[in-house]
Amino acid sequence: MPNQPRRTRRLTADALWGYIFIAPFVVVAAVFLVFPIGYSFYLSLRETTLYSSWYNQFSDMVWMGAGNYVSLLTSKVFWYSLLATFLYAALLIPLSLAASLSLALVLNNQRLPGYQALRSAFFLPHVFDVFVVGIIWLLLFNSTSGPFASLFEALGITWFKVHGFLDNPVTVLPSIAFAMVLKGMGFGMVLFIVALHNIPESIFEAADIDGASPAQKLFRVTIPLLRPMILFLVVTSLMGVLNGFTEFYAMTRATGGPSVSFLGETVQAGRVSGLHLYRLFDESFYGHAAAMSFILLVIALLITAVNFKLLGDRSQ
Amino acid sequence: MRPLPPKAMLARYAVLLPVLVLVQLPLVWMIVTALKAPGYGLVLRFIPGPGETWFEDATGAAKNMYTLGNFRNVLFDADFPFWRFATNSALVAGGCALMTVALCATAGYGFAKKQFPGRDRLFALLIAAMLVPGLIYMVPQYAIVLKFGWINTWAAMIVPHTANIFGLFLLRQHIRSLPDSLIEAAKVDGAHEISIFGRVILPLSVPVMVTLFLLTFVGQWSNFLWQLIVNTPDSKLITLPVGLSYFQGQYSVQWERMMAGACFSIIPVAVLFLVAQRFFIAGLTAGSVKE
Repeated sequence: MPNQPRRTRRLTADALWGYIFIAPFVVVAAVFLVFPIGYSFYLSLRETTLYSSWYNQFSDMVWMGAGNYVSLLTSKVFWYSLLATFLYAALLIPLSLAASLSLALVLNNQRLPGYQALRSAFFLPHVFDVFVVGIIWLLLFNSTSGPFASLFEALGITWFKVHGFLDNPVTVLPSIAFAMVLKGMGFGMVLFIVALHNIPESIFEAADIDGASPAQKLFRVTIPLLRPMILFLVVTSLMGVLNGFTEFYAMTRATGGPSVSFLGETVQAGRVSGLHLYRLFDESFYGHAAAMSFILLVIALLITAVNFKLLGDRSQ
Repeated sequence: MRPLPPKAMLARYAVLLPVLVLVQLPLVWMIVTALKAPGYGLVLRFIPGPGETWFEDATGAAKNMYTLGNFRNVLFDADFPFWRFATNSALVAGGCALMTVALCATAGYGFAKKQFPGRDRLFALLIAAMLVPGLIYMVPQYAIVLKFGWINTWAAMIVPHTANIFGLFLLRQHIRSLPDSLIEAAKVDGAHEISIFGRVILPLSVPVMVTLFLLTFVGQWSNFLWQLIVNTPDSKLITLPVGLSYFQGQYSVQWERMMAGACFSIIPVAVLFLVAQRFFIAGLTAGSVKE
């Protein structure tokens, strides 16, 4: 705040109370949010030894230098996990944006009776437990007793009856994406409705006067004006995918799904980055897991940087 | 406002209805499966056929297709302590939500209304930490918790999540919008710092605190990964989602019972949301609106 008078360096009572009020939060944040970033990097340069007791495994780690990073970057499973993550994101994000925006456009109309109840109904699954919802989808995608396989069979497509949805490497990620779009579309809808409300009515009136068709209004007026919200949702969804673990764990029964051959290496088709990280962790490769975390952090920061750049361009 | 013409209205409902069915399908499927008698969970039929009845009849001549027995089992069977799992989940989620609100409210007030050296830089540093994906914290936080000797304790399950930066941001923005004159007036009346916070700031922040409480509660109620790794399988503090995952792994899955357990996770949250939805929506939209 440049135009405020510069304060004296001596601690006033007010400043002291400021420190007292922020202290509890700052202590917890320092221990569990700030320190872990550096600590994680330190751990990523070391690795656990086989002969350590469970309790001392972090103190007994040995120096590896860049070894963990090299071993990850030369591992095919690691590259598959990144590829699977971005493939999944490429399925999930466009679908969920289109679904959320369509819902918002229909339910933004307050002349539709029951619009409020419908909004609540579409939003509701967003608050449900991901793990439990994933387990329910195991039932829904079951090839013998699930409704979807039977529905396709009734339409003359028996492929899913034979191969299932989550049991073959081709459809496992699209099926998880489908379930997650349904769970999350109400969240995007609410945000789009807020954004639509912030567009002045006069812009649409002007478009009407110019004789714009409904499609022209949508693609030339509404969507460009929603750009900041679309970008916001793309970035938060990308972060969500990078953070994704529970949905994959639940819907592949903790295995990562059916096996697939990737560049001659056998890997589970649903092993996205979050699941790979968990596996490294679970097998006590804490150094590798920390290195993987750091690579994911770099990817996340790159995504954020690109986002800021795109948002910045718009305002020029 | 004049409602839409009937034709336009029907067209919209016709588009919305199939989507609504798909969106609500998991909820419905869970409840229906939970109500099915053992052995019917993987049968794609809903109406009793020959030799079957809806519910148990006194004669016992026909097989019943539906039962409330799964819920009874979930609540009272000692082998599957779902009741304990649910209690643990509620304590973790409630404890975490309370602590989060307490930390964010005090720190929000400090950052909003107090002047002290380094304030804005510290706040910026904390906001920057929001960019770090949560999964990255798994390894170092686990190492810290292990060093503290916190495995299988409430502390491990609750404390690491309580410095919620989004919550801090939410409360700081709100408290900043409260007029300084209220604080000055209380000071003139001789109020102590603590009572200014307790009697002036807190009562005016209740809606935001409720929002943060609910969002944290629901988020932690479904926190799976962290509660999975900081508890060993023999822990007394296992939460509901983790308990369900062991249940799924250990036994040949009894889907009917599993879904009855799932109902105890989903239905309280659904009710909470429907009762308090304006608070949820307020919190979620606050995150997306730039200053």
